[in-house]
Amino acid sequence: MKTVFRYLKPYALLAIISPLLMIGEVMADLFLPKLMTVIVDYGINAAGDVSESELGSTVMRLLYGEGTYSSMQVIITFGVLMLLVVLVGGFFGVFCAYTAAKASQSLGDDLRRDAYKKVMSLSIEQTDKFTTGSLVTRMTNDVTMIIEFTEMLLRMLVRSPMFFIGGTVMLCTLDVKFGFVLLCALPIMALMLTFVLTRAVPIFSKIQQKLDRVNSVVQENVTGARVVKAYVREDHEFERFKTANGELRDTNMKVQKMMAIMHPVLTVVMNAAIIAVILIGGLDIANVAGSEMSAGTIMAAVTYVTQVIMSIMMVTMLFTSVSRAMASVKRVNEVLDADPVIISGDKVGESEEIAVSFRNVSFRYPSATGRPVLHDINIDIKKGETFAIIGATGSGKTSLVNMILRFYDATEGEVLVNGIPVKEYDLAALRSSISYVMQKSELFSGTIAENIRWGKPDATDEEVRAAARIAQAEDFVNSFSGGFDDYIAEKGASLSGGQKQRMSIARAIVRRPEMIILDDATSALDLATEARLRKALREELSGSTVIMIAQRIASVKEADRIAVIENGTIKDCGSHDELMRTSETYRDIYNSQMKGADEKEVAANE
Amino acid sequence: MNDQRKAPQAKMPDMRRPGGGGGGPMGARVNREKPKNTLQTLGRLLKYIGKSKLLVIALVCIMAIVTVSDLAGPALQGAAINTIKVAEDGSLSVDLDTMFLCLGAMGVLFLISAGLGLAQGIIAAKLSQNTVYMMRNDLFKKISKLPIKYTDTHKHGDIMSRMTNDVENVSNAVSQSIASLISSILTLIGAFTMMVYYSWVMALIACITIPMTIAISTNLAKFMRKYFVKRQKLVGALNGQVEEMVTSYKTVVAYGKEGKAIEDFGVTSGELKKSSILARVWGSIMGPCMNFLGNFQYVLIAAFGGFFVLNPNPLVPSLMLGDIHSMLQYSKKFTRPVNEIANQYASILTALAGAERIFEIMDSADEIDEGTVEVHVSEIEGNIRFENIDFAYEEGEPVLKGLDLWLKKGQKIAIVGATGSGKTTVVNLLTRFYEVDGGVITIDGRDITTIPKETLRRSIAIVLQDTVLFSDTIRANIKYGRLEASDEEMRAAAALAKADTFIERLPDGYDTMLAESGSNLSQGQRQLLSIARAVLADPKILILDEATSSVDTRTEMHIQQAMVALMENRTSLIIAHRLSTIRDADKIVVIKDGRVAEAGSHEELLALGGEYHKLYSNQFAGIAT
Repeated sequence: MKTVFRYLKPYALLAIISPLLMIGEVMADLFLPKLMTVIVDYGINAAGDVSESELGSTVMRLLYGEGTYSSMQVIITFGVLMLLVVLVGGFFGVFCAYTAAKASQSLGDDLRRDAYKKVMSLSIEQTDKFTTGSLVTRMTNDVTMIIEFTEMLLRMLVRSPMFFIGGTVMLCTLDVKFGFVLLCALPIMALMLTFVLTRAVPIFSKIQQKLDRVNSVVQENVTGARVVKAYVREDHEFERFKTANGELRDTNMKVQKMMAIMHPVLTVVMNAAIIAVILIGGLDIANVAGSEMSAGTIMAAVTYVTQVIMSIMMVTMLFTSVSRAMASVKRVNEVLDADPVIISGDKVGESEEIAVSFRNVSFRYPSATGRPVLHDINIDIKKGETFAIIGATGSGKTSLVNMILRFYDATEGEVLVNGIPVKEYDLAALRSSISYVMQKSELFSGTIAENIRWGKPDATDEEVRAAARIAQAEDFVNSFSGGFDDYIAEKGASLSGGQKQRMSIARAIVRRPEMIILDDATSALDLATEARLRKALREELSGSTVIMIAQRIASVKEADRIAVIENGTIKDCGSHDELMRTSETYRDIYNSQMKGADEKEVAANE
Repeated sequence: MNDQRKAPQAKMPDMRRPGGGGGGPMGARVNREKPKNTLQTLGRLLKYIGKSKLLVIALVCIMAIVTVSDLAGPALQGAAINTIKVAEDGSLSVDLDTMFLCLGAMGVLFLISAGLGLAQGIIAAKLSQNTVYMMRNDLFKKISKLPIKYTDTHKHGDIMSRMTNDVENVSNAVSQSIASLISSILTLIGAFTMMVYYSWVMALIACITIPMTIAISTNLAKFMRKYFVKRQKLVGALNGQVEEMVTSYKTVVAYGKEGKAIEDFGVTSGELKKSSILARVWGSIMGPCMNFLGNFQYVLIAAFGGFFVLNPNPLVPSLMLGDIHSMLQYSKKFTRPVNEIANQYASILTALAGAERIFEIMDSADEIDEGTVEVHVSEIEGNIRFENIDFAYEEGEPVLKGLDLWLKKGQKIAIVGATGSGKTTVVNLLTRFYEVDGGVITIDGRDITTIPKETLRRSIAIVLQDTVLFSDTIRANIKYGRLEASDEEMRAAAALAKADTFIERLPDGYDTMLAESGSNLSQGQRQLLSIARAVLADPKILILDEATSSVDTRTEMHIQQAMVALMENRTSLIIAHRLSTIRDADKIVVIKDGRVAEAGSHEELLALGGEYHKLYSNQFAGIAT
C-alpha cells in the first residue's frame, strides 16, 4: 500500500482537488430534494403560496419582488433552478472524474514504467523465476486493478465519510436514543467486514495466480501451435486449458459468493435499523408523556439511518476493492522490490592483450544444489583470437560464456574482461563491447533493417548492408520484395531457422564489437554458408575476439584454439592439430562426425 | 523500431515475408479494421449470456420479486409512520397494534428480499463466471483451430491480452451490469405502468425525455466508443511489448537495449494513460446528462401536472393533487434506473470493446479441413508423393516451383539444400500447416486434402529444431506423443532417445516440473525430450526437421542407432545439415530454386558431381586438409 501512496505524491494536488470536487457534486445532490420539496409542497399543494417556506419565499422575493405568486410561476422557477443545480453538480462530477482519472492513470503510468524499468534491470535468473506470463499480467492486469482502486478511492474518500459523519451527528441531535441503533448496527457490520476481508484477501491473490496459469497455457499453445497441431493434441490442450480456466472460475466464484452474502446481510441490518427507529419513535410517543417525537422526526431519522448505513456499505465496497487491490499491489511490489542480483560496477577497461580470463571459476545455477555445472575453469583468451568451445550437450558451454556477459555471476573464482573483474566493470560498457548471438535467434517485430540496427541504432544504410553481407544475409534479404524494409512478423516466425540466425549475426556484426560470442549461432546454416560466413568474419572483423561455441568440428577447426569441455571443466585446449594428437575426447568427436568421410578424399581428389 | 511501434497498423499491410523455410507469411493479414456494429456485438454478447438460459430466467424472476418488494418497502414504512396520529389539540397518539403489524410485515419482507438478494448475488456471479468460462473455452478452442499462419503473423502478447484482459472486462460487465440492468429495466417498466395508471397523458408527457435520452446517449456513445476501443487496443499492444521483450530478454540485455525497450514501453504506456483518461472523462459525462434529463422530466410532470389540476380538460379530466405526488415519486424511480444504466455505460462499453476483439478472433477463418475419406491411422502405409507443387508464402515470391518428390513406404529420404531453399516448407505442406498453391500431395494415392487432418497428423510425428515443451512434468511432456502410453513405454522411449541419463540425474527424475517452455533445460536436452516424444508417438511417417542440430555429435552418434531403429519401417523425412545424419538415407534429395535438382544415394550423387557434390565438398572444406 505504501508504494501506491508514494506514487500518488506527484499528483497530490489532483488527488486533493478530486475529493473536493466530489463535495460539490454531493452538495448539489443534497440540495436537489429541498428544491423538489418547494415545488411539491408550495408550488402544487399550496398553489404558489411560499410564505411558509424560507427557501421558497427568499428565492421568489429575489426574483420577482414581494407579492403573491402563481402556482406555475413557482413550479417553473424552481424547476429551472433544479436543472441549474443539476448542471452545476454535473460539472463538478465530470471535473472530479477528470482529476481522479488523471491522478490515478498517471500513477498507473508511472507505476507501470517503473515496474517495467525494474524488470529490465533484473538478471536472467530473476525474470525466469517470475515467468513471462506472470510479468505480463503484473504489468497490465495488476496495474489496472491498482488504477481502478485509486480512482475509486479518490471519488469515495470524501463522499462516504461525509454521509457517515453528517448522518450520525444529525441522527443524535434528533434524539440520542436513535444513536443506540447505530451502536448496535455498527459492530455487526464491522464483524462481518473483518470476517469477509480476512477470508477474501488470500483468495484474491489466488485468483491472480490462476490467471497467470491460464495465461501460461495460452502462451504455450500460441508459441507451440505447430507441435500441438502436429500431434493432434488440440483436445488434450483444451482439457489442460479447461482445468486452468475452471480453477480460475471456481476461485472467482468463491469470492463472489462471499460478496453475495455481504449485500443481503447489509440490507437486513439496514432495514432492521429502520424498523428499530420507527419502533423507538412509536413506543416513545405511546409511553412517554410529553414526547417530542413526531412523524416528521421519525421520517428524518429513517433517512439519516439509511444514509449512514449506505455510506458504510460504500466503505465496504471500498474495502473489498482494497483487498483486491492489495493482492495486485503485492504482486507489483514483488517486481519493484526485486533487487537486481547483478549490479553494475563502474570501471571501464581499455582493450588489453588478454581479452577474457577465467580464474578458478566454478559455477552452479543459483537455485541448484549438487555438483556445479562448471568447476576449475582457468583460461586466458587473447585479444583478436578465435577461441572455440566444443563439448557435449548440457556440458555448460553456454554457462561459461554467459558469465562473461554477466547473465550469471561465477559462484567461485573470477572472470576478467580487459583485466578488470566483470563484477567491477560498468555493465553497459561491458555488454556494449560484446556482441552475443544465441542459437535460438530472438528477433523483434519490425523491418529487417530495424532488426539489424538493434545492434547499432545510428548505423548507416551502408553499415547495415555490410553487416548483412558479412553475415551472408544480403542475398536472401535482397530476394524479398521489400528488401531491407521488409517486415518481420512475430519473432521472425516468417523466416527460416538459418535466416533468423544470419539476421542475428548481422545484428551482432553491425556493432563492430571488440568481442563477438557465437553461441552455437550457426547451427541452422548449411556448411557452405557457414564456411563463407567464417571467412567473411575473419577478413572483416580481424581485430575482434571471437568466441564460438559449436557442435561441428568443421566450424571450429580453423579456430586458433579449441577448448574441449567435459565433466564441467576444460579437459583439453589447443589447436585442431594439437588436439587431434593429444585429446582423445576431441578425436572421438571428430570421428563421430567424420564417419564415412573417407569418401571425402575421393571427392577431393576428383 | 520506434516508428513501427507508433503505427503498427499502418505498416501491417506492407508486411512481406520471404519464402524461407520456417514458416509463416503475412498473406493472411486480414482486411483492415472496419468500424463494426456495436449492436451486432452486443447481440452476440447477449447470445453468449443467453446460453445459460436457466440462470438468466432465474435471475429475472428473482429480480422481479426484489423490485416489487423494493417498491412495497417504502409503502409499508409510510403506513407504519401514518399510525402516528395528531389529535385536534396537537397531542400525538400512536396505534401500536397497526404499527407492529406494519413493522412485522416489513421485517418479513426484508428477510425474504435479503434471501432473494443472496440468491440473486450468487446467480449473477454464476452467470458471469459461466459466461466468461465458456467464452474463454470457445476462444481457446478457436485459437487451436486457427491456421498456423495466424499465430505466425500475430503478436502473441496481443492474442493473450484478448484471452485475459478483454474477457475479464466482459466478465466485469456481466457480473456488475447485467443485474443492475435487469433491475433498472424492471423498475422502468413498473414505474411507467404506474404512471399510465394515473394518467396516460401525463405518462406520454413523461416519455418526451425518452427520444432525448436515446439521442444523447447514442451520440455520446459514438464518441466514447472510440476511446474505449483505442484503450483496449493499447492494452493489447502493451501486453505484446512486455511479452516480446521479456521472452527475448537475453538479447535485450546483451545488446544493452533496456533503455530503448523502456522508452518504447513508455510511449505506449503514456498513450494508454491518455486514452484511458479520455475514456473515463467521456464516460463520466453520461451520468450528469442522464441526471439532467431525469430531473427535466420531474419538472415537466410538476409543471404539466400543476397545470392540469388547475385546468381540467377532456383529456385529463380529473387529476388530483395526490396523483401528482405519486407520479413525481415514480418519476424519481424513473431517474434512478436511467442513471444506473448510464453509470454502467462505461463498463458496458469496455466490455463491448473487449468483446469485439474477442469476436475478431472468433471470426477468423478456421484451418481448412474438408477431408472426408474414411481411413484409419493404422491403414496409412506411408507412400508419399508430391506432384508438381507450387507454393508461395507471399504472392509473387514462389518458394516451390513444380516440386516433385516421391517417398516410398518405409524409405528414409533426406532433403538437403541451401538455407531458405524451402526444405521446411515441404514439411509445412505435408502436415498441412500451409496449403499448396498448385499441384497435389498424396499419401497412399489419396490426396491429403481429402484425408481428415486429424488422421493425417496422427500418422505423422515431427521433431522440430525449435523445440516446444510445456510447463508440466517431464513425464507428461514425453507422453504428449501418446497420452495413453504406460510408464514403461515412456521410459523406453526416453532411453531410446538417450534422454534417460540426464532425466534420471534430475532431482525429481521424470516428475521434474519444466518451467515455462522448458527454459530450465538446455537446448540439447529439450531436443532429446522432443525426440523421445516422437519415439513414443510411434507414427507411420516421421519428420525430423533439424532434429539433432542442438545435440552434440557424440550424443547424436549414440542416438543414431536409436534413430535408425526409430526410422525402421517408417517413411522418414529428414532435414539436416550434418552429413552424419543424412548419409545413411535411402535417397537424398537436393532442392534448389524451388524444385528437386538432384536425387539419389550419397554415392550416386557424389559421382554425379553436381549440386550435392558442391554442398558436400563445402561441408568438408578445410576439415581434412
